[in-house]
Amino acid sequence: MDDTLTIAARSFRSRLILGTGKYETFELMRAAIEASGTELVTVAVRRIDFDEPGEDITSFLTEDILLLPNTSGCETAEEAVRMAKLARAGGLPDWIKLEVIPDPRYLLPDPVETLKAAETLVADGFTVLPYMLPDPVLAKKLEEAGCATVMPLAAPIGTGRGLKLRDSIRIMIEQAEVPVVVDAGLGAPSHAAEALELGADAVLVNTAIARADDPVAMARSFRLAVEAGRTARLAGIMEEKETAVPSSPVGGTV
Amino acid sequence: MNGREQAVEPGETVARLLDRLGLGGRFALVERNGEPVERDRYAEVELASGDRLVVARPVAGG
Repeated sequence: MDDTLTIAARSFRSRLILGTGKYETFELMRAAIEASGTELVTVAVRRIDFDEPGEDITSFLTEDILLLPNTSGCETAEEAVRMAKLARAGGLPDWIKLEVIPDPRYLLPDPVETLKAAETLVADGFTVLPYMLPDPVLAKKLEEAGCATVMPLAAPIGTGRGLKLRDSIRIMIEQAEVPVVVDAGLGAPSHAAEALELGADAVLVNTAIARADDPVAMARSFRLAVEAGRTARLAGIMEEKETAVPSSPVGGTV
Repeated sequence: MNGREQAVEPGETVARLLDRLGLGGRFALVERNGEPVERDRYAEVELASGDRLVVARPVAGG
């Protein structure tokens, strides 16, 4: 089946995007990435600690996987634009997962600053993938600003609570003309399948895989769930009914 | 550099400084006096006394 995800004219066979945070080791991260089949992974950007430089994450990632730098840690549009420019100048891709998060308790993104940063970054030639609350009106504005996707959260980052904001995400999916990537809050493969069944174009998963007892097996489970959800979406999911409809013939009982 | 003092040699470039600090082979992102430095200019840009440098890199993140 030729069913690819296209973001900013680049095609992906996998509809699962992985975050690289929270793995016990980079070896484990690499194995989970491989098991997931992903072709797009996020990285953060931080100052080097010269006393303890640690390992270089890029040496654990293969060339065929696109790196998506994020602007985590930024609380304003200005900070996010600065970080994106630093990442691109230093040789990271000009793709950016835009996160502008001033709130440490729920890690909810600031919609006004996110839109402002998106406009600046698009004008500067970046491919912008904004993290956002599932607000269909904001999604339209981000799309009009030239964002390559919209990425609504299912539930707050790291909570694993699933599609808590399902109805708003459904409206976004109905109206979007760019891919909708459900990002954050997915805790189980069934949540990912549900997002794809609902019509999301992809999901981004980090904690649920990285913090599993067996991240490699969980990565594989998410891969299968994403494939199942997407295949089911294309196959046409039956409508719910209020009353029973028999599956066996009603007459001819012996 | 990243908020601490770092001696530079006269005419030292960004690339030479990174090498000297053992960061030559690594993915280093550099900002000089608030402006990002393009990777292909690391070997040209000379550092001067009083420059403010930020040296960052990609790390694990979601």
